[in-house]
Amino acid sequence: MREPNFKRLAHRLLKSGIAPRHAHRAVTEIRDHYDDLVDAAVEDGASSQEARQLAASQLGRMDDLVSAMIARRELKTWAYRFPRTAIVIYPLACLAALPAVPVFAGIANASLIARWGASLLAAGLFTAALLLLLQLSILFG
Amino acid sequence: MAQSNPPFMSGVPELLLLRLLNDREMYGYELVRSIREVTSEAISLGEGVIYPVLHSLERNGSLKSRRKPVGGRTRVYYSVTRKGRERLETLQNDWQRIQTGITSALESPGNA
Repeated sequence: MREPNFKRLAHRLLKSGIAPRHAHRAVTEIRDHYDDLVDAAVEDGASSQEARQLAASQLGRMDDLVSAMIARRELKTWAYRFPRTAIVIYPLACLAALPAVPVFAGIANASLIARWGASLLAAGLFTAALLLLLQLSILFG
Repeated sequence: MAQSNPPFMSGVPELLLLRLLNDREMYGYELVRSIREVTSEAISLGEGVIYPVLHSLERNGSLKSRRKPVGGRTRVYYSVTRKGRERLETLQNDWQRIQTGITSALESPGNA
């Protein structure tokens, strides 16, 4: 049996609608379980390669793990459990959140905006100084 | 190796997990080993399949979990809540009722 691909397992669980906290924790637990099985097999005298193969077969097929998780509706995200409600609620929530987007975008990019503001201020001051110099040269020239 | 019997096993993993965790907190690998031991290897679960059951039991409030670093790994230990003990009692009663019924059916004269 091939060695389990835990990254792919996590991807499949998330793609199937399993809530991220359940998906990530289950994968971590299963990976630790696999490591424990490998350690136990090595202690029993198996080679590293044999131990990994034995552990993979004891752990079971990844398809079965995914099916077992998917079969439990309560482990899925809210949107997967109540799709019809989600279809109504999500667009409304997005519309309601729209006015707040510039504020959050500003907070998220505060340093960029500060740099941009400072550059604008410096350019303004430089232009004003040039104009003042020009004006003075006209007056006293 | 013990054979699994999926249709009849419905609810059995839940019962076994609650029963074992009622004694002390354990993590997944430990639970699978304990199930094998207490059932004399009569019941063998696909080892990874235990986690959806544990997560579901936690989700419905029958179990609670905590992370504990052990030997360089962070184990997720599960323990039974008050709701879990009530659920265990219900499941035990159901199982005993079924067991009595089946024993009675097997011992009835019609089967002789």
